[in-house]
Amino acid sequence: MANKTIRVATDVGGTFTDLVCFETDRDSGQSRIITAKSDTTPPNFEKGVLNVLAKGEVDPKSIDFLAHGTTVVINALTERKGVKVGLITTAGFRDTLEIARGNRPDFFNLHYKKPEPFVPRYLRRELPGRMTYRGDEIAALDLSPLAGIVEDFKADGVEAVAICFLHSYANPAHEQAAMAEVEKLWPGVSVVSSHQITREWREYERSNTAVLSAYVQPVAQRYLKRLEDGLTGDGFGGSLYVMQSNCGVDSLEAVSRIPITMVESGPASGFWGAAELGKLIGEPNVLALDIGGTTAKCSLIENGQVKIMTDYWIERDRTSAGYPIMVPVVDLVEIGNGGGSIAWVDDFGKLHVGPQSAGALPGPAAYGKGGTNATTTDANLWLGRINRDYFCGGEIDADMDAAGKAIKAVGKKLGVDASEAARGIVRIANNNMVNALKLVSLNRGFDPRDFTLVAFGGGGAMHAVALAQELGVKKVVIPAGASVFSAWGMMMSDLRRDYFVTNLADLSGDSADSIEALFAETEDRARDQYAAEGIDRAKVKFLRFAKFRYQNQEHTTEVLLEDGPVTAERIAAIEASFHETYEREYTYRLDAPVELVGIHLVASAEVGKLTMKSEEPTGNPASDALKGKRDVDYALEGVHQADIYDGTKLESGMTFAGPAVVEDPGTTIVIHPGNQVAVDGYRNIRITIEK
Amino acid sequence: MTTPANDPITLEIIQNSLQSTADEMFAAMKKTAMSSIIYEVLDMGTGIMDARGELASSGAGIPAFIGVLDKAVKVLIAKFDKPGDIEPGDVFATNDPYYGGVTHLNDIIVAMPVFADGRIIAWTANIAHNSDVGGMAPGSLTGEATEIFQEGLRLPAIKIISKGKPIAPVMDVIKVNSRMPDVLEGDVWAAIASVRVGDRRLKELATKYGVDTFENAMDSFMDYGEKTSLKALKDLPHGTFDLSEEQDDGRTFNVKITISDDEFIVDLRDNPDQVANPINTSRDGVMVAAQMIFKSLTDAYSPANGGSFRPIRLLTREGSVFHASEPAPIGFYYEIELRVYDIMWRCLAPHMPDRLAAGHFASVCGTFIGGTHPDTGRQYTIIEPQLGGWGASRQGDGNSAMFCGFHGETFNCPAEINEARNGLYVDRMELNTAPGGEGKYTGGRGIVMDYRVRNDNGFLTAGYTRSKFPAWGVDGGRDGSPNYVEFRPKGGEPEQFAFVSGQVTNTDDVIRVVTGNGGGLGDPKERDRDLVRRDIKNGLISKEKAEEIYGPV
Repeated sequence: MANKTIRVATDVGGTFTDLVCFETDRDSGQSRIITAKSDTTPPNFEKGVLNVLAKGEVDPKSIDFLAHGTTVVINALTERKGVKVGLITTAGFRDTLEIARGNRPDFFNLHYKKPEPFVPRYLRRELPGRMTYRGDEIAALDLSPLAGIVEDFKADGVEAVAICFLHSYANPAHEQAAMAEVEKLWPGVSVVSSHQITREWREYERSNTAVLSAYVQPVAQRYLKRLEDGLTGDGFGGSLYVMQSNCGVDSLEAVSRIPITMVESGPASGFWGAAELGKLIGEPNVLALDIGGTTAKCSLIENGQVKIMTDYWIERDRTSAGYPIMVPVVDLVEIGNGGGSIAWVDDFGKLHVGPQSAGALPGPAAYGKGGTNATTTDANLWLGRINRDYFCGGEIDADMDAAGKAIKAVGKKLGVDASEAARGIVRIANNNMVNALKLVSLNRGFDPRDFTLVAFGGGGAMHAVALAQELGVKKVVIPAGASVFSAWGMMMSDLRRDYFVTNLADLSGDSADSIEALFAETEDRARDQYAAEGIDRAKVKFLRFAKFRYQNQEHTTEVLLEDGPVTAERIAAIEASFHETYEREYTYRLDAPVELVGIHLVASAEVGKLTMKSEEPTGNPASDALKGKRDVDYALEGVHQADIYDGTKLESGMTFAGPAVVEDPGTTIVIHPGNQVAVDGYRNIRITIEK
Repeated sequence: MTTPANDPITLEIIQNSLQSTADEMFAAMKKTAMSSIIYEVLDMGTGIMDARGELASSGAGIPAFIGVLDKAVKVLIAKFDKPGDIEPGDVFATNDPYYGGVTHLNDIIVAMPVFADGRIIAWTANIAHNSDVGGMAPGSLTGEATEIFQEGLRLPAIKIISKGKPIAPVMDVIKVNSRMPDVLEGDVWAAIASVRVGDRRLKELATKYGVDTFENAMDSFMDYGEKTSLKALKDLPHGTFDLSEEQDDGRTFNVKITISDDEFIVDLRDNPDQVANPINTSRDGVMVAAQMIFKSLTDAYSPANGGSFRPIRLLTREGSVFHASEPAPIGFYYEIELRVYDIMWRCLAPHMPDRLAAGHFASVCGTFIGGTHPDTGRQYTIIEPQLGGWGASRQGDGNSAMFCGFHGETFNCPAEINEARNGLYVDRMELNTAPGGEGKYTGGRGIVMDYRVRNDNGFLTAGYTRSKFPAWGVDGGRDGSPNYVEFRPKGGEPEQFAFVSGQVTNTDDVIRVVTGNGGGLGDPKERDRDLVRRDIKNGLISKEKAEEIYGPV
């Protein structure tokens, strides 16, 4: 035992709690991998975590490193299970939260319903005091009304307080003073100020962020406390980290302070995994695609870097303005297209797939649980792409009668037979996903042909090759353990914090010193925060990004700065890299002055993440893993007899060609005619598209 | 038998791609524009037309721009009708309502033909409000204009890029005519980048699926739009409905609408003559208003295309306020279009109470504030529409603080950005708690916003309607409250305006923007007591006032 390092990732989802454990021999570097799944156990989620550890026979005492991902924050938000919040804001701006931005996304709909603010007007209170956009005080903060406000909040059953003042991104002194006073007047109350979460401008977005953070804070803190107590109670003495939306992990202590940063941690770990995998196998430019039961999510990774942004919204779509949360979140596009997405024909004979999903219950018609709607999964079964005798890893008997009936109903409305309808469903679903992939690539000035598609999640491997062919992508990688890939991503994460600070300055030699000072000051803040949690200052590494625009523009373009201080001599080179980045994205450049709008600093520290070791080719032929042949309908390419491989028997160095299907308990990989396949030393399936 | 050219799945895929192309054009333009009215307010639109100039697909933005681009492209096609007039790589522009520009001179439409197999298969186009296109007043809009010549540079459907190369003299003329030449140049380039993005995507589609299939997809998409509209038309009450309404400026506007199984006829012939003030609109502009209300009534949820609007028949009289002839000024055309939109809404509301709510504040409330930034010394111009209250409906209270019906995915400017960019203070931005809009269901609240200027020699121009006659209530609900701008000079007497041009502003003067509450619906006495108590607790109405209007609480 002593010469083994045990790393565990647990991921609490809506239905299941997943476990992945790497038991690494320190001498040989070889790892034994354990995966397990058990039910999620609301409201005592820690129980599900302990259960899954027991199921996987992992002793909490033996764990060195435990990464934890959870949907507790997003669930509390979408299910409205947070606490009653009181907001304290600048005089004249109590209605900011309700006024919002005034937009109406489905603009022909005269019955549009504006999203309700999370805090009603009577709990939005004001204090006099004013800063300028440059952070100068022009009216002193008057704290005298605060005692009365706190009394009112108590009387009204408020459980958490949010504070957001105008221009606090430039100078947080008033927020700090008000927060100290609230804590004095009301010891023990949950309170958060906007500047603790973000130092960017836009008062509605920042107010809403503070409010939503306060809203989930007590819930998330209780959750994290119980998790920690549960684990320590069972003897866990290792390091516990929590997955964040910015693709990093953070300490329990830090996350408990600002739990809203966990809001999109689920997708973040998968995309981080894709970036790490890309680096591992020499593919730094990755289009990452995660297809689950109800949605597909995608993100672009350029040169090993995930893109982290702060314009994240929940519940925003074509019919609702949603709610902004200004925290660092991996840049992703999500569409309502997953395995359970329902195919339907409108009044005018047009076929659509999603965004409605059959969910887990009743699920696809083939689950035989009473579902009568044809889903993408039913179509994949019907076309022989999914093995009807090995459905869900053999755990479910595919109800082909139900699937056939559902697909025929779709076909009848279209005037075609079942197979044609099933092909139509797969093609429409693919097209929806292609458009999403274009949004993260072409739409941002990247050519998808320069990227490798990494597909994971339960459904990623089924559609990946078709999507790659459509986009002209030449290489597809299906990671080993694609269905638990997110958990693997967590184990590959560093401690990471993203600091976004708004600060206007002309980009010129004269401002080099002040730009450098801003970076240096923010780096000190980051080091101080890490040091307070016992991380050695010297171990903290930084990446400096700056956000620029042409004078008079609003939207900014982010540019990675090379290492070293910003000096007057380097300004010209920095400006040149902005022009270049800008032109790639927007097709032209201007001979206009350039402005800095703010910085984005990434501060990371390694915490002993997993290192992977490649296996030598075994020399065995792929035919060892061949388990049969069957007809598979490839939609556009017609029906072919495909070789069927048992994914669990594929070994390093095996090669074969399409048409083929690889089946393992979690995923089905559909390989098209002409594709070449190689299993690499990490047991990833590497597919090369013909041409 | 399905063949590639009419395989319904392929057509569907192309149609989805048209939509995502229009969206992509929108995103490209929004991110590169230099005027806040474009990138923040999103006073812009994008679209794809077929080779004849019919609207095949439209992007996000504001609904009032959706039906504009097809009209401009049709004018271009008619004007450039000889072989060689239009070549690959060309880009065209128009901003003149008498040359397909539909709106006013600030709105430049940029359009590009898409070539495949040696012929035009489509057009990509966009429209955006530019901050200054010359003319007699900063920002180009002024209530003082008596002819269109005073409202800025006219681009009468011209070529600006030939075979991929900018026509330098034309670009120079455009630039030199603006008070904000760099901003105008940047915005025009943003528009060019956007039509080029669209051109690339459509070429890829046509190459991949074949030109015939591509054209089939556009045709069938428009037929689908028409079918959707016709089906919905059958469910609307049929008959002829009319309305006369007095306007703030004393004119009376009249509308007659006839709905049948296959037609939606809007008759606006019986209306006053055009005037020598910028409160006229082109016939095309009125058509856009009719298209908007029609789309909302028939199929509010799917994207609009040329087919959707085929059942509309519009009758106007040339030389009238709703069909202005050259050289009538049209700067504030949008308020007039809104009046048409609002009287059509009001005309039909009693006959379709489940589809149409009470009246909303129904004015763009265009506000133009300019001057010198005290910290940077640079000129600034704020051009912004305002938020206001929407009417109550049978589903409940109206929304507070939304842009008017002409805007859609439009965003207000954050105070923090406003203060930094423009060098003035926003002292407050809150809901309007003035009386108005009470009912069983209440109208939403307008806003009160105070701008305090920090420098001397600035200006204020504004043009609001529904200032004398506020949003209308229905079924016993009370009318809303008025829209106005109040100039509060330091140490002087406040003065209220609906229209004001070039008011000089000095340090510490306050410009107060007040927008109206929407109309109420139903007798206030029938309002749920819990809702009345909630309104009191939220400080939207005093207890005394509530008891007076709603009865015992």
